Amino acid sequence: MSFLNTLIPARDGSQTANGAPAARRPRYEITESDAGYSLTVGLPGVSKEGLEITDEGGELTITGKRTAKLPEGLTVLHRESSDAAFRLVVTHDNEVDSEKIGAELKDGVLHVTLAKAESAKARKIAVA
Amino acid sequence: MRYIQFTQPGYRGATSQRFGGRVAAIDSELDWLFGTALNGLAEGSPDSFPVDIYEDKENTYVRAEIPGVSREAVNVEYADGSLSINASRKVKTSEGEKDVALSRQVGIADQVQGDKVSAAYENGILTVTLPRKEEAKPRKINVSVN
Repeated sequence: MSFLNTLIPARDGSQTANGAPAARRPRYEITESDAGYSLTVGLPGVSKEGLEITDEGGELTITGKRTAKLPEGLTVLHRESSDAAFRLVVTHDNEVDSEKIGAELKDGVLHVTLAKAESAKARKIAVA
Repeated sequence: MRYIQFTQPGYRGATSQRFGGRVAAIDSELDWLFGTALNGLAEGSPDSFPVDIYEDKENTYVRAEIPGVSREAVNVEYADGSLSINASRKVKTSEGEKDVALSRQVGIADQVQGDKVSAAYENGILTVTLPRKEEAKPRKINVSVN
């Protein structure tokens, strides 16, 4: 089965009534190996406390709220960043072992490892 | 195969669906086209990063979003009213790991005590604190009225 059939980023329909995005999709990258998939997500300003990862019904959802708050009484001179939360939904089929999803957050980068289920691994069949 | 790296959230309304290989491939191509076109400006090119500038009575603060760089690879320099932030990020490519240089220069209007500039890196955000020179601080002057 091709990679795209297995892990496809889901459509992000998270919009508020006025059309402004309630959450934005972070930058991310997915790589595949024999053992599983590796998902790298850029979540600047998100700490462990603001991060939520759920895997339900073939949808892996990553929500990151920005916890890096500025002290009170500051004047903004120039602003390029956004305080909007990050949200990424990745769909997968049952080729991923939900029990073996690992996640590590370091310096604003989240690494998620998704192990392939035994049934999905390529198997060499010996001919008798 | 090209994976989607820069995407614009919410510009398609459809909810989560699984697509066949062909549809998904076209979709990612479009994503790549539009994503690059839209986000190339909004979030900067891969070698740049968003920067915020704040101030209070004592300091000017510059915050830069540079997730995933090691502290040793961050270099902050202040000289003559200009703050340079240089960093490098390790990026995996098909030929192995590659260093991508990130660079940004910010002009600081206020007089800064150059020797007291400090920086901290947390959760992928670099905060540079630039203390203002005494004479540049607003001073409260009491005027006695007779």
